[in-house]
Parts: sequence; C-alpha cells; structure tokens
Amino acid sequence: MSASVRSMSLTVCRAATVAYRAFNPATRSLRSRGFIESTEEFRFVERLVPPSRIPTPPKHEGPAPSGWIPPSATPPSLPYMIRRSRMHNVPVYSDIKHGNQHSTLLRKIEGDIWALNKDVKEFLLGLTGKEPPTQVNEITGTIRIKGLFDKELKDRLLKKGF
Amino acid sequence: MFRATLAICGRTVAKRFISSLSGESALPSNLRLPPNLIGVAPQKRAFPSSSDLPVLRRCEADIPAHLAPAQTWLESLGSRDSEPLGVVDLHPDVFSVPLRLDILHAVEVWQRNFKRISHAKVKSRAEVSGGGRKPWNQKGSGRARHGSIRSPLWRGGGVAHGPRGPSSYYYMLPMKVRVQGLKIALTAKLAQDYLHIVDSLEIPTPDPHYLLDLVKHRQWGDSVLIVDVGDEFPQNILKVTEDMKTVNIIPAIGLNVHSMLKHESLVLTLEAVKFLEKKLLWHDVRYAPLYPFKLPYSDLP
Repeated sequence: MSASVRSMSLTVCRAATVAYRAFNPATRSLRSRGFIESTEEFRFVERLVPPSRIPTPPKHEGPAPSGWIPPSATPPSLPYMIRRSRMHNVPVYSDIKHGNQHSTLLRKIEGDIWALNKDVKEFLLGLTGKEPPTQVNEITGTIRIKGLFDKELKDRLLKKGF
Repeated sequence: MFRATLAICGRTVAKRFISSLSGESALPSNLRLPPNLIGVAPQKRAFPSSSDLPVLRRCEADIPAHLAPAQTWLESLGSRDSEPLGVVDLHPDVFSVPLRLDILHAVEVWQRNFKRISHAKVKSRAEVSGGGRKPWNQKGSGRARHGSIRSPLWRGGGVAHGPRGPSSYYYMLPMKVRVQGLKIALTAKLAQDYLHIVDSLEIPTPDPHYLLDLVKHRQWGDSVLIVDVGDEFPQNILKVTEDMKTVNIIPAIGLNVHSMLKHESLVLTLEAVKFLEKKLLWHDVRYAPLYPFKLPYSDLP
C-alpha cells in the first residue's frame, strides 16, 4: 500500500518535472524554441584568421607606383648573387655603434664574395674618392663597409638587376 | 695495429685511385684487399651529373633562378641487389645550403642541454644538522674563533657555494636557427654521400639479417636512420628495426640534428622528402608570428 503510494508519487513528480522543463522557456531545447542551427556562418570567422606566408608581389614592368623595383627575371651574369630579403627588398642595411661609428651591411651574398668586395670598393672609390675599409665574412656571406652608403649601394644593386 | 695501418693504407690507396679514375669504378681490378680488412673505403657510385636521365621527382616549391636542384639516386629496399630506379630532384635551399658548422654545433649543444635538469644539491651551513651553538668562548680558550661547528671551514660542515637544488639548463635557440641547423645537417649528409632516397619502406621479409646484409652490401655505413612520414609503417620494417641498435626508424616530425649526426647514414622516403621540403621552406617565406604558430593560421604547412 505504502509502496504503491510511493511509486505513484514518484511518477507524478517525474511527469511534473518533464512538463516543467518542456514549458519553461529557459530550459527548452534550442530547436524547439524556434532557433535554426547552422555552421555556414563560420566562414566569417575563417576569413579573419591571418595568413602566415608573405605573398609574392604582383608582376610589375619596371618600378611599382610605391617606388619598389622588382628583381630582374634572369639573374645578372656576375660571379656573385645577392638575394632579396623575405619582404622582397635589397639586403643593404645601415648600422650605428656607440652613436658615432656608422657602417653599411650587405647581406645574403652567394658566390664569389671577394669579386663583389672589389666591385663595391671600386664603386665607392669613384663615388667618394677614397677606398672605404670593408670586412668580408665568407661564412655568413656578408660585407660590412665603414661609412653610410646604403642608398647609393641599393641604387647600384637595383640597377644591376639584383 | 697492423690491421689498422692496413686499413689506413687501403683507404688512402683507394682515395688516390678514386681521385684519378673519375667516373669509373673506384678501385682497380688488380687490387687485392685482404678479407679481414676493417673499413674498406666505400666505392662511390658516380653522382648523376648527365642531364639526359629521366627525373622521377621534381621539387614542388619554386627554385630560385640562379640555383639548380641537387640530384641523387632513387633506390629501392625490395631486394639486396636492386639497381637505382632513377634520379630525383632535391630543393637547393634545403639540400645545398652553405655548411655553417657553427650553427650545427650550436643546435647540437642546445639539443643536449635544453632538456637537462641537474638534481645536484648539497647542504649549506644552515641545512647541516647542528651547529647552532658557539663551540667555545670567543676569547680565552687559545683556539681560533668560531661561531658554529658546521661552517664551511669545518670538517662535516656545509658547502659554501655548492650546487643548490634542481637547476635547469633550459634555453631556446631562435626557431630559424634550429631550422637552419636541420637544413645544414641534410646538406652535409647529401654532400658526404650518406643520404639515400628510397621510394617506400616495403621489405620482403621480417628477417633482420636481410636488412643488415642490404646495408652492408650497399655500404651505407655502420648505422642507418630511416625516416618516413605518417604514423603507419609497414609491419616488416617495424619488426626488423625493433630490436636493432644501429638501424632505427623515426617519423619525419622526429627528425633532429643529434639523430642525424649519431647515425652514419640517412634514408628518406619520397614522402619524407616532400614533407621536409614543405616544412623547412615555409620558414624562408613566413611572417614573424603575430601569435604563436601553435594557434591556427590560414595557411600553415
């Protein structure tokens, strides 16, 4: 008698809970509340994710409007080669130490680095009238020149087609 | 000692003959080496230099205009005496970089030390048991003045500047330096004739003697590192390399400079070459990370 009363009260409680959950707007499932689930809008998130690779610049015949000059399609027929940096620029950099020691760094050199060294020295002799001291590092493929010549060297290398 | 000198003599003789007879078989036919000679100089098969051989694999990435791809033979593990199947192209920015031994050394030292945690710890004078009380009066006893029996001057006392607790030797080399180290190691293996490209790792028997015999016959060296991509390897090769100390197999993501230097010879499958080229060349054209590369970008390799 008491067991049947208990079981009856349990079923009544369970029915009441289910009915409460179905009719209470906070606990009804999303679909029954009138929402449509869709994953197509994820493309708006995907297009915000940035790329990791630096894009190759579009083909320009001659200088671009910004002043950037592309490397020549065929590498110049010299015993050395100077690659572009990863941002497609000529790898000539200016450096200062202790506020008064200026130098120019020429990086990413492949091939006969001493031929390039001679070339650079001759060019700067013609430009300034004296031969600047240079430091050639064969292992890393760099040349460090005393003095600030980055603009002139960049123009010279661009004219050569590097 | 006699055998060692004979080995050295044999090697120098062989080297001289290799240099004079380019393109033909390295050792002359009337040279008789004793059967117990240790370390016969490997007879180099001439590198594919002629351009009329059909290239079985070209590089996917663009090669700079002033560089030519490195070429090597494509071999097969199917039978001991199989001839090379053909020639494959390897990207010069991965397999012909300038050999910076200083970078290689730096990466190898980093690999050894960055995981190191030294647990050496000794007790200082504060931690050694006892020594709280002044042993004798400052003045009057005639002995030297001391404050505790556990000072570093005393026998049984604490150590003044000893190792203190677990200390870590963790440091990270820049990502690009580590990548360059891998490229240099691959270049070195190719340049020293220790790199072998294989089409797949299928071997006919799970017998370890077959692989050892093959390695010895082809003169690949004392130890071989086999690299393939993915998590599924053929059962035969796994069984064979399981109990062997000198021939080891690793997935391509596990390739590292220390393993490459430890093993004499490196065997890559074509998929492993493709994977390595893709992953290593990406570092030459990537931006600096906006957020760590562990998080998603739209075009990670």
